[in-house]
Amino acid sequence: MPTAATIRSQIESALAQKIPAALSPSTRNFRPLLSTGIPALDERLSGGFPLGAVTELTGPECCGRTSIALAFLAGIVEAEKVCAWIDACNAFDPASAAAAGVDLDRLLWVRCGHPHQPATAPLPRVAVPEACFTPKPAVRGLHGGGYGPHPRTEVRGISQALEALFHQQPAGEEPAPPQTFPARTERLPAAAIARRPARPGHYAAIERALRCTDLLLQTGGFGAIVLDLAGISPEFVSRIELSTWHRYRVAAEKSQASLVLLTQYPCARSSSELQLRLLPSEPLGEEAATVFTGMQLHVEVARQRFAPDAGNVFAMRKPPRSASGAYWINRTSWAGLR
Amino acid sequence: MTPQEMYVCMIVREFPAQALLRLRPDLQAQPCVVLQGEPPLQTVVSLNTQARLMGLRAGMTRVEAETFPGVVLLQRSPAAEAATRAVLLECAGNFSPRVEERSEPAAFLCGIDIAGTQSLFGPPEMLTRSLRQRVRALGLQARLTASRNFETAVCLAKGLPLHRSLQIAADGEEAAALAPLPLSVLSLTDAQAETFSLWGIRTLGMLAALPERELIARVGQQGQRLRRLAGGTLPHLFQPAEMPFLLEEHTELDQPLENLESLLFGVSVMLEQLILRARARVLALAAVTITLQLESGAPHCRTVRPAQAANEKQLWLKLLHLDLEAHPPAAAITAVTLQAEPGSPRQVQLGLFAPQVPEPGRLDITLARISSVVGEDNVGRAVLEDTHAPDAFRMERFRLPVRRCVPASPRQPRASLRRLRPPERTAVTLRDGRPQHLVFREQRYAVVQAYGPWLESGNWWTEKGWKQEQWDLIARASDGALLYGCVVQERQNQWRMITLYD
Repeated sequence: MPTAATIRSQIESALAQKIPAALSPSTRNFRPLLSTGIPALDERLSGGFPLGAVTELTGPECCGRTSIALAFLAGIVEAEKVCAWIDACNAFDPASAAAAGVDLDRLLWVRCGHPHQPATAPLPRVAVPEACFTPKPAVRGLHGGGYGPHPRTEVRGISQALEALFHQQPAGEEPAPPQTFPARTERLPAAAIARRPARPGHYAAIERALRCTDLLLQTGGFGAIVLDLAGISPEFVSRIELSTWHRYRVAAEKSQASLVLLTQYPCARSSSELQLRLLPSEPLGEEAATVFTGMQLHVEVARQRFAPDAGNVFAMRKPPRSASGAYWINRTSWAGLR
Repeated sequence: MTPQEMYVCMIVREFPAQALLRLRPDLQAQPCVVLQGEPPLQTVVSLNTQARLMGLRAGMTRVEAETFPGVVLLQRSPAAEAATRAVLLECAGNFSPRVEERSEPAAFLCGIDIAGTQSLFGPPEMLTRSLRQRVRALGLQARLTASRNFETAVCLAKGLPLHRSLQIAADGEEAAALAPLPLSVLSLTDAQAETFSLWGIRTLGMLAALPERELIARVGQQGQRLRRLAGGTLPHLFQPAEMPFLLEEHTELDQPLENLESLLFGVSVMLEQLILRARARVLALAAVTITLQLESGAPHCRTVRPAQAANEKQLWLKLLHLDLEAHPPAAAITAVTLQAEPGSPRQVQLGLFAPQVPEPGRLDITLARISSVVGEDNVGRAVLEDTHAPDAFRMERFRLPVRRCVPASPRQPRASLRRLRPPERTAVTLRDGRPQHLVFREQRYAVVQAYGPWLESGNWWTEKGWKQEQWDLIARASDGALLYGCVVQERQNQWRMITLYD
């Protein structure tokens, strides 16, 4: 009489063309979890944020993404690890981080949104001639009463004059000859091809932030890396290629760093292991308070891969999801314990 | 002479050529000669083996040397010779603190008192082999002799044939070892050389066999000194030299160089030498200063100081490369000098339960790369300033903290701020002196709750005085979206949003 294992293998081999490993449950991945420092959220996530994976916090402004990320970093820093905050919006506030319990000595802050001025030659000093400071003699009538140029032409040439003022040539130098353009058949010299200037605005900041994230993930050793794109509108962030997020997911898994992504709209898609959607927060309604005391946050789990189960029974069907989110109150540091 | 005395003599022949070729491994396989003098009256002062095999000799003029095909002509560099001399003395100092220099115009020569070092480095044969190996690692070829008499060791070193690099004169056999050497090793004056030549004296053995009294009667008191020198019995008062430990390498380029990558090939060899010397003293490089002599005259100086002292050449090379890329020299480079500060090597005891931190070397390179992307001032750790001024902090270089983290009190979820840099213009409508409506980012909000005004000022005693009036606002838009922010009034009816609560 064949054993159950034999029968199972026979069925699996028969169905192998249609359903590979039909009766063998797939291997279950259990990823270690790190506490977020917020009990309500930890309870909802059955432990916290996954280690070595991408976690995405999405939501509008003032919904609490920064405070969750800082609370998470505070726990990692307390374990004597180092973290990084890649700030594409130049919005990080060190005082808030310190108030949340983050040791600033263990936090690497990369300001990608701050304008970077490369070292260049000092600008030439602009010397305004003394004649400009001597008052002109009074003239009769409006604009000289017809004894000078017409008022409609008095602003002409100002742009050229200002340009000449701020890019004045040293005295005694011959003026440059008029530039002649080579014929189309001539080949331009290599030196004439100038490097394209950096794209201004959000695209340049995002590009810098992505490069820095790449570098830090490859270096390894960071407990958590926060990529802060929370202040950039989704029309810019959504243009980031999906392969970038996949690369980050692989690198984070390899270096065992938790990558926390702050955005307004989900963009990492399947590369994020945990995706939290933060809903607009509500005021506390403490009418008697004379200072701003905090707000109540509401988080929903939009996506969670490899959620830890309580039992050892393998569910053949997808387990039901909890519709309710997590609620908690974020108080300001000056509000005190209540 | 006491029986405990023992001296090793080290000679580096063709020193001007070896000093120049030490940091030029690409030229070591080619015939090279070193010229000295003012053009066009330059003469060959030193040359390498390949050049000698081609038939070149010291004393040839530049024109004569140029007739040989493929010969590389180099100009004598006193700076390179001084640096190499310091390196050799420091290398000898690793075996004994008592080193006396007896250099000659075309050769480096020093004597080392190795009395009492047998328990550390073994017998003289073993010590000389170790020393020769160490010198070879520096890119130089040295010949070594050992004897109980200092002058005997020096004479043996000067007269050592080309096919031998080591010779140990056994105790009591100094005269026998010196006997076949020619008189030229004694540095005779012209008159003395002519006299001995007329007498038919050609070797030290023949000189030592002359009767002492008659020799003094004909040559003078110098005759006695020369006879005892030839017999290996002349005593010597050892005068040890001070050897400052200076990690410095200098090289001059044949032609002005503009390409940084090409420069780094030479810097790599210099770094290798610095690391070798530091490692010989169980030290590591804590900081490296590169000084580039430019064609325009002004030197370009940069210092790289990683978080921890390191001896990895690739790490230093990459850090120097990134630093020079961020701060390129203004003109072509004509000479390079590397100076290093020694430091204690990294001592990290890795533990099974130690927290995960980045590797210091890789972190330094990563920080340098990030600096090149975002700027030096935009990467590091934030340090809060002790002031009430808003957004007051400074950036410092990020280093791995060594102190332990103080466990904080039980954490509580905190509302955090997001700074708007620069503050964004907003329109605020007041009613009874309190904000009533708000237009921010083209969205109109009705103020639900306003806290304030908070009046702040500071530095009023200086030119940088500041004061502002803040309001914390909770505002609701027409679509129900809530805004938690802080606005300040700059002037009458001019408001700006400075932070958002998030």
